[in-house]
Amino acid sequence: MAALGSALAVFLATVLAVGAAKWAGDVLNPVTLTIPERVPFAGGIPPDYHAWNRFHIRWYTMALLFLAFDMEMVFMYPWAVVFIREGLVSLVEMMMFILILLVGIVYTWRERGFSWA
Amino acid sequence: MARARVFVGLKETLGRLARSGPIPVFAVTAADAINAVRDLGLRREVEIVATPRHASVLLVAGRFGEGPIAGLSQIHDQLPLPRLTVRWNGEVLAEIPQARLVAGDVVELVDRLLALDAEILAGALASESPLLPDVDAVEWRGVGPYGHGGSGMTGGTPFGRPLADRAPDRDGLELDQLPVSVGPWVGALPAGLELHVKLQGDLIQGVEVGPKVAVMAPVDAFVRALDVPTPVKLLEVERARHHLRWLADVLVVHGLSALGLWALRLAHDLSPSDRSEVERLLSAVRKSGVIKLVVGRIRGGVVSPGVVGTGPIGRAAGSGDDARLDDQSYQELQFQPVIGETGDTAARWNQRMAEVVQSLDLAARAEERTAFGSGCVEGPRGLIVSKQPPASASLLEVLPTLLTGLEWGDAVSVVWSLDLDAFATSVVLLPSGTET
Repeated sequence: MAALGSALAVFLATVLAVGAAKWAGDVLNPVTLTIPERVPFAGGIPPDYHAWNRFHIRWYTMALLFLAFDMEMVFMYPWAVVFIREGLVSLVEMMMFILILLVGIVYTWRERGFSWA
Repeated sequence: MARARVFVGLKETLGRLARSGPIPVFAVTAADAINAVRDLGLRREVEIVATPRHASVLLVAGRFGEGPIAGLSQIHDQLPLPRLTVRWNGEVLAEIPQARLVAGDVVELVDRLLALDAEILAGALASESPLLPDVDAVEWRGVGPYGHGGSGMTGGTPFGRPLADRAPDRDGLELDQLPVSVGPWVGALPAGLELHVKLQGDLIQGVEVGPKVAVMAPVDAFVRALDVPTPVKLLEVERARHHLRWLADVLVVHGLSALGLWALRLAHDLSPSDRSEVERLLSAVRKSGVIKLVVGRIRGGVVSPGVVGTGPIGRAAGSGDDARLDDQSYQELQFQPVIGETGDTAARWNQRMAEVVQSLDLAARAEERTAFGSGCVEGPRGLIVSKQPPASASLLEVLPTLLTGLEWGDAVSVVWSLDLDAFATSVVLLPSGTET
């Protein structure tokens, strides 16, 4: 019940704060924007086209790399348990695994997979 | 009554706070006022802002040609209230007849700006009214219940504007190609340059250079040197000053505002004895990594000597052309031009930075020698010949070729590296009245 009362108090305080901010905004700045004021600024020429457009985002290579390292992190949780039991040998094995993944990053970098265009 | 007193007190407090900061100014600048506006930006009382939305004052500086100034009414109406326009060292504006006229140097302008700003914040001066009607050229309301949409699957003409065109991308996919007009008064481009670009994402697929803004040509030391032999020391300090101001602009555009301010301060009071300070600045620019990591990674934007064979751009591409080689005074100083190789954006940065140091060195050794005066001069942008357009004017024609295929950010870097003079200048009138 106490929690409900607290939540209600927070809700009411939020409503009051938003209402007060809106009232203050209307009083301090009662000006509404004209059509020319609302036009996006690009140097003085109004835009002829709507800015809504679809383009190729080219995230494939980055998405694949993310997946590779995401799975690597998943793999490292059980490895942490094994590491306590096996010690240095498992550390070396994990380093080899990470190095192989790093080769992939270097290859993508060389192929300019990270640049947009 | 008490409520009214509270509001008055609140407004006075806000006005006092507004007066305590620098006056935000958006500048629309003709060719002969660009350097003066740069100097204005060095004053603490004024802040030159990037868009009219951040400004209180619209400053229209310098002498324009006949006819309306492109985009001026639109920019005027985009200033938030209270707004005011100041016309500095120029004629009355047909578009904004109520603009306050100010003639004089930067000090006089700042004094007048402070006085006008105080008046308008105190309510003693009324804000300027909008110039354009409060109606949209195209009805933004569509057919949907919330004013959205039109016809067709994607809405046809949402909010009254046509959607982007379609064009194949580099993988052969039919994707949207958005035509965007940028300029002529946007901080991302040199003053007066208007570009119509077609964008797919941020990749430029087509460029057209818009109409040039007509201005009166500035008369500087190099123009005077067309007719009158001029001290080599003066010309070389002016050349170094020009390149430092260019460096200040490109540093600000690349996000290195502090270094840009340093370059601008150095340019303001430049003398041959500033060489070590200039070298410290150039070393800081190189250490910032902007040339190696940002500008040097741009693929494209290469200008060959066949396109522009003169000036720093031609020399950065390996051309040895320099009118100073034919002048006796420069021969006595054993002048040899700095010559680059690659002609790309980074080469143009390195070229101008090297030429700043070289010019200061020449100025320090020039003594009383004079140069030129016979109708041609090696200007900071290249060869200037009497009664002919400057050689650098041809750069605007090759801009579409240079920029197509680049990302927008890289294209901005390339444009600034060219040190374009984007204005259409009328005949140059020397103080004596002689036309060149």
